Amino acid sequence: MIKAINELGSNVLASIEQIGRTFNLLVIIAWKLTQPPYQIYPIIKQMYFIGARSLTVIIISGVTIGMVLGLQFYNTLERFGSVGVLGSAVALSIIRELGPVMTALMVVGRAGSAICAELGIMRISEQVDALECMAIAPDKYLVAPKLVAGILSVPLLNFVFNVVAIGGGYYVGVVLFGMAEGSYINGMIDSVVWSDVRLGLMKSLIFGMLITLICCAKGFYLHLSEHGSKGAEGVSRVTTDAVVISSIAVLFCDFLIGAVMS
Amino acid sequence: MDTATTNAIEIRDLVVDFGSRRILENISFDIHQGEIMVIMGGSGAGKSTLLRCLLGLKAPTSGHIHMLGTDICHATKTDLYKMREKMGVAFQGGALFTSMSVAENIQLPLREHTNLDENTIQIMTRIKLDMVNMLPHENLMPSELSGGMTKRAALARAIIMDPKLLFFDEPSAGLDPITSAELDELIIKLKKSMKMTIVVVTHELESVFAIADRIAILGDRELIQIGTPHEIKASCDKRVIDLLNRTPRESIVDSDAHLKRLTRNAQS
Amino acid sequence: MKSNIRSENDFDVLELSGEIDLHYSPELRELILGSLKGGKALLIDMSDVGYIDSSAIASLVEGFQTAKSTNLEYGLLSISHPALQVLTLTRLDQVFSLYDNVEQFQSQF
Repeated sequence: MIKAINELGSNVLASIEQIGRTFNLLVIIAWKLTQPPYQIYPIIKQMYFIGARSLTVIIISGVTIGMVLGLQFYNTLERFGSVGVLGSAVALSIIRELGPVMTALMVVGRAGSAICAELGIMRISEQVDALECMAIAPDKYLVAPKLVAGILSVPLLNFVFNVVAIGGGYYVGVVLFGMAEGSYINGMIDSVVWSDVRLGLMKSLIFGMLITLICCAKGFYLHLSEHGSKGAEGVSRVTTDAVVISSIAVLFCDFLIGAVMS
Repeated sequence: MDTATTNAIEIRDLVVDFGSRRILENISFDIHQGEIMVIMGGSGAGKSTLLRCLLGLKAPTSGHIHMLGTDICHATKTDLYKMREKMGVAFQGGALFTSMSVAENIQLPLREHTNLDENTIQIMTRIKLDMVNMLPHENLMPSELSGGMTKRAALARAIIMDPKLLFFDEPSAGLDPITSAELDELIIKLKKSMKMTIVVVTHELESVFAIADRIAILGDRELIQIGTPHEIKASCDKRVIDLLNRTPRESIVDSDAHLKRLTRNAQS
Repeated sequence: MKSNIRSENDFDVLELSGEIDLHYSPELRELILGSLKGGKALLIDMSDVGYIDSSAIASLVEGFQTAKSTNLEYGLLSISHPALQVLTLTRLDQVFSLYDNVEQFQSQF
């Protein structure tokens, strides 16, 4: 019993320490980003990796989700005879909720895991130490470009997701079920207001920062975690952790922001 | 300046704990400017921990390390980084950046720390690659290199800035005898022509006596002995003799105790 | 590093002294390439240099390559011991034309 309580206590302490380290990393990087030299090229390179290379998966999931939504809403709304609001229903749920959340989850799965594994491998193969010994600050050189790229890429991907998802809804409603084109688009334009767009944008900025930060910190601080001395297995363990934690963080934050904003 | 009395590194009363485990106990010794110091010891003797302290990657529990006049255990990050520009490190596994070619790896410190002309950087890279006999492989990626090539590329990267201090972790581990002899020769040349102070950490005996000006032997957390190869060979300390003769552990065992050890958890 | 450049009839002489490291090699590079641009042969007097690092050597190499491509004579004069050691380490003592005195260089014309 006492052993179990001890274990629980040390786990809680370790988690708090980890959260502290993660946000400490954010503060350090935010400070270092204000200092020259500014790394424009590495940021663009990371944006290509996080952003451009995620486009396929974002487009496919966006179209699918838009179509699913169109289908579901159409069937439900038909029962109440209010198919006319399909456009605004799809657009609002995509822009306010599903767009930011699904984009963030997709980026976690595709780029976040890769970022975490990359940094973890660099840590265990002494590449991070090598940078440190060359007097090149590894947090600024390795983590900062990824973090900035994450914050910039996720909202852009979110935009793409929104557009194709609304397109997917349009395909189902107008092309498959033959509802009037004007009512889908006009309903959407009438009901979506600036505050909806702003909410979605804010969410995706926060999610972008959150997931890249968690994935970076998990890999970068591999040596300090309990898996630090496990070599390749340690990398796979922290990568799994990073994906799980950042996904949960996205969902939890989504609720939090929703609760605060409404 | 009298080189014999100038110290590149001074280590004083170094104590390192890992949690409740003591790894190094009161280590004190000097590394002179322009010498090749080999730090030796069996596995688990604390060699790598001592090296990590010297590189400033691990803070000791207590004690001081002065390196080229900087107290690296208490220096600010800025001073530490300034000092590190005068030092080069070749890690055991190479630690080459996997996303860059061999040449890009080697150029990285130059691009980060200097404003040299592109031509100068290219020529310097090729000079260093030629020194380690890697010129034909400059465009390969680290994943395409053999163990020996990785070590040589890592050495080239370590010396690209012409450091005053060079650290080399296990230069010959896992290399064929010819490559390892070539590396030894190169280390000696670097000392002679570039006036580098070189610290080599190894447990391989062959190269130790070929390159060392002095040898520091670590064993069981302590500095057992430090001296010239000649002095070490003439040592009377049993632990040193054992290390040099590669005596395994005691081969005669207490038969009862040994039987007990082997059957401790077995059902009787 | 200190430097002085003087013109003889057919060639320039660049006199160097002191240590040449990362901080001075860009200046050395400018001096060498600038002199070669004038279309005259170049002799670099290295009798007084102390330690030179590989960035300095890189500048010397670039100069040699430039001189060769414009068909100009390019030589190093009485290299000091520490500098020669670095050249030997990089096997460049076999590449450069080394001279013991100015007359030797002059006889190339």
